[in-house]
Amino acid sequence: MTSTAERQMELTLPMVEDIEIAAARAAANLARELGMSSDKIDEMTHAIIEACINAREHSGCADNRIYLRFAGTADEDGSRIDVWVSDRGKGFDPNEARARRARPGEVHKRGRGLQLMEAHMDEVEISTRQGGGTTIHMAKVEKKNE
Amino acid sequence: MSEELKVAVDRRPNGAILYTKGYINNVGGEEIANRAYELMDQGAKTLLLILRETKIVNSIGISILIEIIEKMMEKEGAIAFCCLTPVILKTFHIMGLANYAKIFENEDAAVKELGLGN
Repeated sequence: MTSTAERQMELTLPMVEDIEIAAARAAANLARELGMSSDKIDEMTHAIIEACINAREHSGCADNRIYLRFAGTADEDGSRIDVWVSDRGKGFDPNEARARRARPGEVHKRGRGLQLMEAHMDEVEISTRQGGGTTIHMAKVEKKNE
Repeated sequence: MSEELKVAVDRRPNGAILYTKGYINNVGGEEIANRAYELMDQGAKTLLLILRETKIVNSIGISILIEIIEKMMEKEGAIAFCCLTPVILKTFHIMGLANYAKIFENEDAAVKELGLGN
């Protein structure tokens, strides 16, 4: 018989300085409960930090809130955390953001948040539209035999 | 909430070692930059940043570290980093820092190679 643990959490955070740390810590606690390794957790928290900073710096939302949802599962094969970071801001063009990025390893001072998210997570999906807000869905997966 | 970064400086004859503790974000990056620029103005040509007690960096903090590296390169000096967590090391590679700054695993080896002994 398969034993599966499931955890879910929702947070609404104000867009204030360093609030991304609160989001990252909440996700890290959930991941630890599910037995994820510290290296995977560190990568996930760095990605969440970048997603929250992007929302805070660029969303231009009126309600000054970041909406987070975490869903985690673990079984004998490993664990998986899904993270949704949403804002109700102006939206953006992900392709334009990707086009602006430098090549990997090339020094580029700003605009690397999305690239870091994609590098640190196993899945990244962006839902955004002009004036309709943005949701970044990311997933971190750890297989026990990795 | 506030995640203040602390920087301790150990001045050496040929440069300095900077020990960071805490989150390197925009504020933390500026704190490191202020200390680094003071040292450069005093003539330091080699700075070693020990990040043993820093577990989180963000892209804004790293952009400030890149500015410090650029300023030191203008002065024909060198910046190096040591004791990075695996995720910070990976982030430094993605952001390009690793192309312009030496990265060491071990503080003693870094001090020896950079000539920062007392």
